[in-house]
Amino acid sequence: MKTFYKKFLEKFIEGLLMLSGTVTTLTVVLIVFFLFKEGIGVFNKKPVEEGYVIAVNNKNPINKLSSEQIKNIYDQKITNWKILGAPTDSIILFRLEDVSNYYSDAEIGENFEGLPICISLLTDSLPNIIAFFPEKYIDKNFKGKQLEIDKVKLSEFLTGKEWFPTAQPAAQLGVMPLILGTLWVSLGAILLALPLGLAASVYMSEIANEKIRRIMKPLIELLAGIPSVVYGFFGLVIIVPLIQTTFDLPVGETGLAGSIILGIMALPTIITISEDAMRNTPRAMKEASLALGASKWQTIYKVVIPYSISGITAGAILGIGRAIGETMAVLMVTGNAAVIPHSILEPVRTIPATIAAELGEAPNGGLHFQALFALGCILFLITLFINLTVEFISNRNKYNKH
Amino acid sequence: MMMLDENKLAKRKKLRQSIAFGILSTLSYSIIAILFIILSFIIYKGIGVINWNFISQMPEEGMTKGGIYPAIIGTLYLVGGSILFAFPIGVLAAIYMNEYVKDGIFKKIIKQMTNNLAGIPSIVFGLFGMSLFVNKLGFGDSILAGSLTLGLLALPVVIRTTEEALKAVDNTFRQASIGLGASKWETTSKIVLPIAFPNIITGLILSIGRVSGETAPILFTVAAYFLPKLPTSIFDQAMALPYHLYVISTSGTNIEESRPIAYGTALVLIIIVLIANLLANGLRKYFGNKVKMN
Amino acid sequence: MFKIESKNVDFFYGSSQALKNINIAIKPNTVTALIGPSGCGKSTYLRLFNRMNDLIDNTKITGQILIDGEDIYAKGVNVDSLRKKVGMVFQKPNPFPKTIFENVAYGLRVNGISDKKFIEERVETSIKQVALWEEVKDKLKKSAFELSGGQQQRLCIARALAIQPSVILMDEPTSALDPISTSKVEELIYELKSKYTIVIVTHNMQQAGRVSDTTAFFYMGELIEYDNTKNIFTHPKIERTQNYITGRFG
Repeated sequence: MKTFYKKFLEKFIEGLLMLSGTVTTLTVVLIVFFLFKEGIGVFNKKPVEEGYVIAVNNKNPINKLSSEQIKNIYDQKITNWKILGAPTDSIILFRLEDVSNYYSDAEIGENFEGLPICISLLTDSLPNIIAFFPEKYIDKNFKGKQLEIDKVKLSEFLTGKEWFPTAQPAAQLGVMPLILGTLWVSLGAILLALPLGLAASVYMSEIANEKIRRIMKPLIELLAGIPSVVYGFFGLVIIVPLIQTTFDLPVGETGLAGSIILGIMALPTIITISEDAMRNTPRAMKEASLALGASKWQTIYKVVIPYSISGITAGAILGIGRAIGETMAVLMVTGNAAVIPHSILEPVRTIPATIAAELGEAPNGGLHFQALFALGCILFLITLFINLTVEFISNRNKYNKH
Repeated sequence: MMMLDENKLAKRKKLRQSIAFGILSTLSYSIIAILFIILSFIIYKGIGVINWNFISQMPEEGMTKGGIYPAIIGTLYLVGGSILFAFPIGVLAAIYMNEYVKDGIFKKIIKQMTNNLAGIPSIVFGLFGMSLFVNKLGFGDSILAGSLTLGLLALPVVIRTTEEALKAVDNTFRQASIGLGASKWETTSKIVLPIAFPNIITGLILSIGRVSGETAPILFTVAAYFLPKLPTSIFDQAMALPYHLYVISTSGTNIEESRPIAYGTALVLIIIVLIANLLANGLRKYFGNKVKMN
Repeated sequence: MFKIESKNVDFFYGSSQALKNINIAIKPNTVTALIGPSGCGKSTYLRLFNRMNDLIDNTKITGQILIDGEDIYAKGVNVDSLRKKVGMVFQKPNPFPKTIFENVAYGLRVNGISDKKFIEERVETSIKQVALWEEVKDKLKKSAFELSGGQQQRLCIARALAIQPSVILMDEPTSALDPISTSKVEELIYELKSKYTIVIVTHNMQQAGRVSDTTAFFYMGELIEYDNTKNIFTHPKIERTQNYITGRFG
C-alpha cells in the first residue's frame, strides 16, 4: 500500500512539474494568438470611422478613394477633382456640421428628421461635393453616390508615411515613421553603448584584477536593475534640458535623448554577455600568444576578441533588442512626434512608445485599438527575429569551437 | 635579422598597450561614473522629500502634495501577487527542465520558448494582459490582471535563476541519494533543493526588484492615475510606484509643483532596487562562503 | 658557459611554497627532461623560464634564473622580448582560430614584422623544420583546426620556431597525442637539438629516456636528483628516484 502511494505521488509530482514546464510555451502561444488575432483584425476594417460614409455627386466618375487621398482632400492639400482623375472642378468639402450653411433649422428638423433629405439633395445639387456623414443619415432614395473605401492593406500599413490613427474622416495608419523612429533611436543607442560596453567587458575580463572585478560586476548588475521609468525620469530632468541648451533647440525631447538613455540601459546586456564570451577564451590560447612575445594588449585584440567575436556580436544584438523593446524611458524623453526623423535632434516616436501612449485612448476593439495590436505584432516579430539570430550565432559558435 | 631594434620595438609595444589600457579603463570607469551620477542625483534630490508622512499619506492637491502611500501599497500588492504566481510555477518548471525531462525535441522547444518569452518586450506583455486578463477573462483593470501579467514577465527570470541554482548542485549528491534507494522526487526535494535553495532565493529577490519597477505591463491592466482610497479586493484597480512616477513627471497638470514628489518616488524605487541587489549579493556571499567552508 | 642557470630558486603561490631551492645549470644545445609525479612542481618550474607564472596573481619568486648570463627576473627586463627568445609548446595543441599560415606568422607580426615576403619565407622554413610542409602546403589558407591533433602540435612547434628562439620549453607536448604522432614529435625534438636548447616536462619515462641528455627529478617541490639521463635511468644515486623511475610510485 505504501509503495503504491509513493508511486502515485511520484507520478503526480512529475505531472505537476511537466505542467509547470509547459507554462512558458503556452504563454508564448497565447501571446501570439491574442496579439495576432487583434492585430490582424485591423486589415478587416476600413480606415473610415465605423458608421460613417463618404459620398459624392452621382455624376462624379470617381468610385473609390484611398484613405490618404481622403485625408489630403479634407486637409485641403487636394483641392481639385482633376488630381484624382475626374474633370477639373474645385472640391467642395462637406462635414455634417456644415449642413446649417445650406439649410435652415426648420428644414433640418428639431430631431434631425429632415437631415437625410437635406444631404441627399445637397449631394445631388452640387456636382463637386464630397460629403462625410454618419451612415444613419442616408436617405432611402439617396441621390448621391457612396464611395467604396478599401480595407486597410498590409502593404500600405507597412509603407505608409503617416501615423495619425485618430484623423477624421480617414485614419492614417502608416507605421513607417514609427519603425524608422524605433530603429533610429536604437541604432543611436547601440553606437553609444557598444564602445563603452566593449571597453568595460575587455577591462573586466582581461585587465582588471579580481578585486576590482568583484566590485564592478554588482555595479553593472545594479545598472541593469534600475527601473526604466527611473531612467526616463532622469533623462527628462537632466538629459533633455541639457540637449536643449547645448544644441539650442526649441525642445530637448529628441531622438538623441532617447539614444543616450537607451544606450545606458543596453550597457549591462552588452557587458555581461561579451565579458562572458571573453572569459571563455581558453587560457591555453592566451598563453600561446604571450609565449610568442605578444604583449597583453596584442593578445587581447589579436586572440581574445577574435575568439569571442560571436559572443560579442550576440551581446550587441541583444542590446539592440533591449533598446527596440524599451517603452517607458523612450516615451518620456523622445518627444513622440510621429514623423519620419531627419536628424537626431528632432523628436521621434518609437513603436513601444506609441502603444503605451495611445492604447489608453483607443476604444476597445476599434480600428485604432487593433492598429496598436498590429504594432505589437511587429514588435514581437522583430524581437523574435533578434532572439533567433542570437541563438543561431551562439549555436554555430559551439559547433565551430570543438 | 630583419626584426626591428629590440628596445625600440619593446617601447612601442609598451606605449601602445599603455594607451589602449588607459582608454579602456577610462571608458569602464565612466560607466561606473554614469551609475553614480544617476544614483546620487536622485538620492540628492529625493532624500529631503522622504519622511514618514511621505510614505504613509495619501496624495493631496492634484498629487502636488501629500504622500505616495497608495502607490506603495499598490506596488506591494502587485509584487506579492506576481511572485505568488511566478515563483512556484517557475521553480517547478526549472526542476522539470533540469532534473526530469530528458534531452530531446521536447526539452529544446520548452527551452526555446522560455528564451523567447524572456525576449518579449514588456509593452507586449501589457497588450497581452489587456486582451486576455482584462477583456477576455473579464477581470477588468485589476490587481489580479496586473499581477498575472507581471507574473508572466517574471516567469523566465525565475526559471533561469532556478535552473542555474540547480545546475550548480554537484551531480555526486544526486547519484549518492539515488544510490541509497531514494526516488527521484525524494532526491530532488530532500537533497537538490536544499542545496540550491540560497541561489533560488537570490533569484527570487532579483525578480522582485525587477517586477517592482516595471511600468509598461501595468499601464493597461491595473494602474490607476489617482485613487483616493486603497484597493479592497484583487478586482480593484491600484496605483503603483513606477506608474505614479511616470504620471506625475509627464502628464500631471502641475508638473513643476509635483517635481519633489517625483524625486521622492524615484528614490523609493531606487531604494527598493538597491535593497534587492544588496540582499541578493549578501546572500550570495554568505552562502558562497558557507559552502566553501564545508 | 651555461645556457640556463637556476640559482636558489624558491617559488610561492600565495603563502604555500611550490618550489624549494632549485639549482640547475643547463648547457646549450641539449635536451633536459623534467620528470616527477603530478604536482611535484616541474611544470611550475618550466614556466619560470619564460615568466609565464607572472600571469597568476599572488605569486612570488626568489633566487635567480639566468638565461645567457642575464637575470630574467631583474628589474627592467622586457618580458615580451624574453618570451621571444624563449619559445614554448604546450600540453595540448593550442593553435589560434586562424589559418595555418597566420598561426605561424603570428609571432612575427606581433613582434613588429610586416614585410610580406620575409614572413612568407619564414613561415615556410618553420613549417618545413617540423616536417609538416608537404602535408599543409596546399591548405595554408585553411583553418588550423582542420589539422589532426598531431599536425596541430607540430604546427604549434613551427609557430614557436618562427620567431627564432634559442630556448624551447615543452610542457608535456605529447600527452594529448597518439603514439605515431608522439614518435614524430620526438624525432623532431632530437633534430631541433642542434639549434636550440630544449627543456621538456614529461610524464613518460621512456620518452625522457629517449629524447633527453640530462634529466631532473622533482618531488614535492624539491629537486631530488639532476644528472645525465643515462646515469639517472641506470644508476640513480637516490632511492626515491629509482622508485619513481621503476614505477614503484607516482
